[in-house]
Amino acid sequence: MSWSLRLPFLSLSVSQRAVAVGSVLMLLLTLGAVLALRLGSYAFSETSWLSVLLGAGSDIDRMILMDHRLPRILTALGAGACFGLSGAMFQTMMRNPLASPDVIGFNAGASCGALLAIILTGGNVLLGALVGALFTAVLVVGLAWKDGLHPQRLVLIGLGIGFALAALSDLLLSRTDARTAADMAEWLIGTLNARDWQDVWLVWSGLLLLAPAVFWVHFPLARLGLSDDLTSSLGLRLSPLRLGITGLGILLAALAVCTAGPLPFVAFAAGPIARALVPNGRPALLGAAVIGALLVLAADTASRLVPSIQLPAGVFTALIGGPVMIWLLMVQFRKGKL
Amino acid sequence: MTILEATSPRSDHRASARQIWLLTVVLSLLLLSALSLRFGLRPISWHSIWDSFVAYDATNANHLVLQGMRLPRLLAAWLAGAALAGSGALIQSLTRNPLADPGLLGINGGASLGVILCIFLLGISDPAYFVWVAMGGGLISTVLVFFLGSAGQGTPLRLILAGAALSALFLALGRSLLLISQRSLDVYRFWVLGGLDGIEMATLAALLPFFAVGAALAAVSSFNLNAMMLGEDTARSLGLRVGLARGLAVCAIVCLCGATVSMAGPIAFVGLIVPHMARRFSGADMRWCLLFSALLGAGLMILADLMGRLPVFGGNMQAGVMAALLGGPALVWLIRRNGRAAL
Repeated sequence: MSWSLRLPFLSLSVSQRAVAVGSVLMLLLTLGAVLALRLGSYAFSETSWLSVLLGAGSDIDRMILMDHRLPRILTALGAGACFGLSGAMFQTMMRNPLASPDVIGFNAGASCGALLAIILTGGNVLLGALVGALFTAVLVVGLAWKDGLHPQRLVLIGLGIGFALAALSDLLLSRTDARTAADMAEWLIGTLNARDWQDVWLVWSGLLLLAPAVFWVHFPLARLGLSDDLTSSLGLRLSPLRLGITGLGILLAALAVCTAGPLPFVAFAAGPIARALVPNGRPALLGAAVIGALLVLAADTASRLVPSIQLPAGVFTALIGGPVMIWLLMVQFRKGKL
Repeated sequence: MTILEATSPRSDHRASARQIWLLTVVLSLLLLSALSLRFGLRPISWHSIWDSFVAYDATNANHLVLQGMRLPRLLAAWLAGAALAGSGALIQSLTRNPLADPGLLGINGGASLGVILCIFLLGISDPAYFVWVAMGGGLISTVLVFFLGSAGQGTPLRLILAGAALSALFLALGRSLLLISQRSLDVYRFWVLGGLDGIEMATLAALLPFFAVGAALAAVSSFNLNAMMLGEDTARSLGLRVGLARGLAVCAIVCLCGATVSMAGPIAFVGLIVPHMARRFSGADMRWCLLFSALLGAGLMILADLMGRLPVFGGNMQAGVMAALLGGPALVWLIRRNGRAAL
């Protein structure tokens, strides 16, 4: 069953299942965010967090909520959505659920850039990650371009460059003093520790800025899942389209990495989970964004709840994402979808 | 194969060319080894090197450096390079995938995770104990990769992606563990670079049996893989037990990779590039390919180690990093040259 919307310039059809799943996910997201606001080493009473949000409440409540928890949660949601979108776009374009930016080496570029920035300037992780990701993207796409952009070559070259960059990151890690190395190791797995409103602003404004483009590529992206011949006979120009989607996907990934670090497996898991929930053969970008946000929120909340040791959120996304990945691979292979 | 070679004049010619190449490669390897003993932060004269072998003097600083540091380092480079390149050749033949490599397929990643667990949970930092956990981790990841990458009709790309995904998983899990303990991080961040410095003769002696078993298994496998080159049905009709042959090859790979990882850390790309170079000299025969791979791999590791000691790289760049920095571009070149047809 599906509902359709027809306007002179736009026609959409939305399945009832998608709407139902979407509503449940949004409900989960809201509940999760509220839960994350309340939980932590400083516990809020039943209503005090609400009164802070409404503009009242004591100073200390206000400080904890507005300066620490809220920015952290909002950053987690934004970064998760970026990871989810980016992963789903790459996976659909490459016709391969394994080809997410964290598997094929784009996150390695962002990490490497950020590490270089830490060493050279002592801070400025944001700029370093952005520059690193964009540089890697230009390098990978440039090297993979040969009579157009073929997904397989892009994946393989991304892998190769990613491995070399990971070696460079390891090298940088060994060339610093023990204290910086510990910080860098934490950053390398991804953490949402001590985020402020600047991060929130960055990730959400970036997301809003890129949203129209994501909406625009949604329709051709759905066709890219078909064979090359069929896609070009529909009048789509493959290489420019792939170039555009790659660029967009990398920008989203870079945005997420520079605010939350290279959280493993979020970009990887979000798309397949969304497609499993609404199996209608479409890219499910919106679903992937929501699932990504949920995953990062859950991982970050879990990381705050472990007493005494400060584990970064990336540990939890790896622990959740790893088994999910192996399960997904088995299901996908059994179905012969790879 | 040998019968064909003996009867056709063209392969006769190729066989003699191969022997000449073998001689050249061996001689260059010996030359490189000599250079590796001679140069470093403290150049040592040829005379002194000779003396340290024939008339060792424990009070001579040069002799101490040579016998205590450079010689173990050279031998480690030999073993690591030969083992990695040999297992690369085996994997490429076994999976019929020109891009297969113990690093890319996650075998080194699994072995590394085993070693990290060993350092972290048990507080052990002796490579002689590492080797068992490294081989366990390597075996698990090999089985996973082959299972994930070959269920149904496997494509080379799928195998590689399965390996990359597993590598990412092992890396993330390993890094997570390290965050909990500062001491482990300090051990790990130098070990992971694939350095050959600080290796002692005792370590080499402890690991030598593993390399020997791996080499023997690899040698046996090279005959089996030769028979399997014409297709599994042909191999079966020749009386080969294909499953057993595959199992032996996997054991050889795991043995060689586990020993190398526990000695020198995870080193990527050597196993990828070297077999391609070796095939130029050896032709399709797997036995020769394995021999050339081992020799060229050892040469590449010695070269990487020697280059890492140049002042340009600060005098102490780890061989594994050099291999990765050289290997990334080599992979790109391979992919661009092979195009889509070969994938």
